Amino acid sequence: MTITNEIHDVLIIGSGHSGGMAAKSLTEAGIRCLMLNAGPVADITRDAERLSASDLPYRGFRPPGHVEHIAQANEFNANVWVDDQEVPYTIEPDHPYSWVRVRLFGGRSLFWSRQSFRLSDYEFKCKSHDGFGEDWPISHADLAPYYSRVERIFRVAGALDGPPQMPDGAFILDDDPWTPSMQRFVDAATPRNIPVCKQRRALGVNGLASSVNLLLPDAEQTGNLTSIANAVVREITVDKNTGLPNGCNFVDRITRREMSVKARVVVLAAGTLESTRLLLNSGLANSSGVLGRYLTDQIYGAGVVASVPEARNRKGEKLMGGSAIVPRFRNISAKSDKFLRGYAFNTTSMTGGLGARNFAAYGAELEKKLEEYYGSGFVMTIMGEVLGRYENHVRIDKDKVDAWDIPVLHIDTKYTDNEYNMAKDAVAIGSELCEAAGFEVLSKNDVPNPPGYSIHEIGTCRMGDDPKKSVLNKWNQSHDHKNLFVVDGASFTSGGWQNPTMTLLSLSMRSSEYLANEMNKGNL
Amino acid sequence: MKRRDFVRTLVSFLVAGKAAFSQQRVSDPTLPPPAPVPWFTGLNSRTPIPATELADHVATAELTFFTPMQMGTLTRLSDVLMPPLNGKPGAVKAQTPMFLDFLVGSAPEPRQKIYSGGLDWLEQSAQAKYKTGFAQLDDNEAGELIKPWLRTWMNDHAPIEPHADFINIAHDDIRSATVNSKTWGEVPSVGAEPSTEVDIYWLPIEPDIYGMNPAYAHTPPHVLANPKGGQKMPVYSR
Repeated sequence: MTITNEIHDVLIIGSGHSGGMAAKSLTEAGIRCLMLNAGPVADITRDAERLSASDLPYRGFRPPGHVEHIAQANEFNANVWVDDQEVPYTIEPDHPYSWVRVRLFGGRSLFWSRQSFRLSDYEFKCKSHDGFGEDWPISHADLAPYYSRVERIFRVAGALDGPPQMPDGAFILDDDPWTPSMQRFVDAATPRNIPVCKQRRALGVNGLASSVNLLLPDAEQTGNLTSIANAVVREITVDKNTGLPNGCNFVDRITRREMSVKARVVVLAAGTLESTRLLLNSGLANSSGVLGRYLTDQIYGAGVVASVPEARNRKGEKLMGGSAIVPRFRNISAKSDKFLRGYAFNTTSMTGGLGARNFAAYGAELEKKLEEYYGSGFVMTIMGEVLGRYENHVRIDKDKVDAWDIPVLHIDTKYTDNEYNMAKDAVAIGSELCEAAGFEVLSKNDVPNPPGYSIHEIGTCRMGDDPKKSVLNKWNQSHDHKNLFVVDGASFTSGGWQNPTMTLLSLSMRSSEYLANEMNKGNL
Repeated sequence: MKRRDFVRTLVSFLVAGKAAFSQQRVSDPTLPPPAPVPWFTGLNSRTPIPATELADHVATAELTFFTPMQMGTLTRLSDVLMPPLNGKPGAVKAQTPMFLDFLVGSAPEPRQKIYSGGLDWLEQSAQAKYKTGFAQLDDNEAGELIKPWLRTWMNDHAPIEPHADFINIAHDDIRSATVNSKTWGEVPSVGAEPSTEVDIYWLPIEPDIYGMNPAYAHTPPHVLANPKGGQKMPVYSR
């Protein structure tokens, strides 16, 4: 059977959270979809095995010269990431960027930390709150019904304890009481108007909360989805008569055979920067001139490690355990004159061992410390909003191509004093809270990791009502081409402290249902 | 029947048909007679897999990166920072210095410079203070040179001040390399003693482009999540 002469209803490029949701929503509405994914299908029974680091040649260290830019990489997982020698990108010498990519079928939905938050109107209407940036063309009320449906699909656990900056959702309720150590932390935060809430995480099914087990099976069940792996899309093609996108050219990753497919509608879900790279390489959707602009993510890496003294020497069994999210409070309940917006704390009361880095000791003295402090750790790390700035952008590097002769992306972005001051404030507040709770601060860091580290890159195809200032409208639809949609994180108008997964899933669902409705009415 | 199963079934028919066709061709009297057994039909899922050992466990290698002087210093430093304790082997017995020669020797230049510069500085400090090489210092003398530079740190942010960067990064690497050695893993860990890391190792993932490997034909596709927060190995910003 050949599929190349068939005109599909919708071509979906990418198979992660956003592509999977598009496939599920569209196919369940009776739309026939073709999904292309740039990499292979991962099968853990074939591609992985449980091993000891002592049986690996690099003893678990990341193999030198391999995925050097990925801080999360080690010898166990080095083969799941996109190799930057196969698909390179370029940066400014003084502006490092960690572009962390997965091209396996399911994309980065295979590997994520499951933190599941909604954006609030402090993010959707950010300019109205503090004058910086742009308001989104939608509000929380517009997205709330979709958030709820996504939360049920992903089985998000949490408590209905969110302040306005962290809207509650359709959760599997977590009504466990705080452990005594967490309660002491709550008691230290409350007088300072700092909210402490139960963590919110996607439980998924059978230990996984991914496109491949929660979304794509439903799409396949309809019989309306055809998928191709190892299809590296070179460019979106355009109908010469109408000027509208009508499919794409791709290269088979294994055989290097050049192929093409046709579709009435194109949905980009390749992951923020790959979707934007594809549009830039195709010369589409940029009448505004802001395609590739306003790249943002979140600052990670700053934090505090403390110890609960009463839990030392193995006395912490009834004191320790549990985790909390401290949603953004800066410039909401507690103002700062050093930065706009704010950050959240991930807070964990540990029951296991502390790392050796928390002690300025070695040898027998260090081993004694590790034994004494075992099960007493209390860790706070931040997730901070990065302001969307026009100058933080990506463009095509015309001097370099990837393994498929496709021009690569040049990424030019950096943090500013707003982000650095935010990290310093977080560590000062975190230390203050730990000390107020009676904990001993062991180590801290107030320097954010390089941009990209959070793997939460968003923006570059921002949505908005004004076609002169945005790439997409409020339905994730190109202002320039009515049959072109971008449903991944590229569409975000601005960021927030929140993990973006629930938002991009909800946006993809909302956009796809709008698209299906328009197609079924004959408008597309 | 799911699409993947259907495709596998379809292709198995095609393969079977092709095999039958091939047999007809082999019986062609103009061709040489067939071998007693077709070459590729013997291996199956019950075929024993030979046991092999990592070369690192049984073989030796020459120094490739550090000078003999630097290796002497690194060996003494490794022994001081991670000596044998409570029945657990130390860094020297775990062959950690030679492993680091291999690891650092193929690492990016900034990391190489931290090690080369740091080992040379330790040697010069020993000569200046004790009139002898670092490799000849006793534990107290070595400690006098090391302790002023010990720092606490978290995440990927090792100290950046000169000397403290080397001491703390080397300490971290020496611990990880030792804990993840076969020698360490052979002695059970007690209490808070770290254990050799065990995790899901991903092989290079290339597609089964025919999708027909019979070993996996009846295995439902499944992928285990590997949260990014679970990574434990030290990494350093470039």
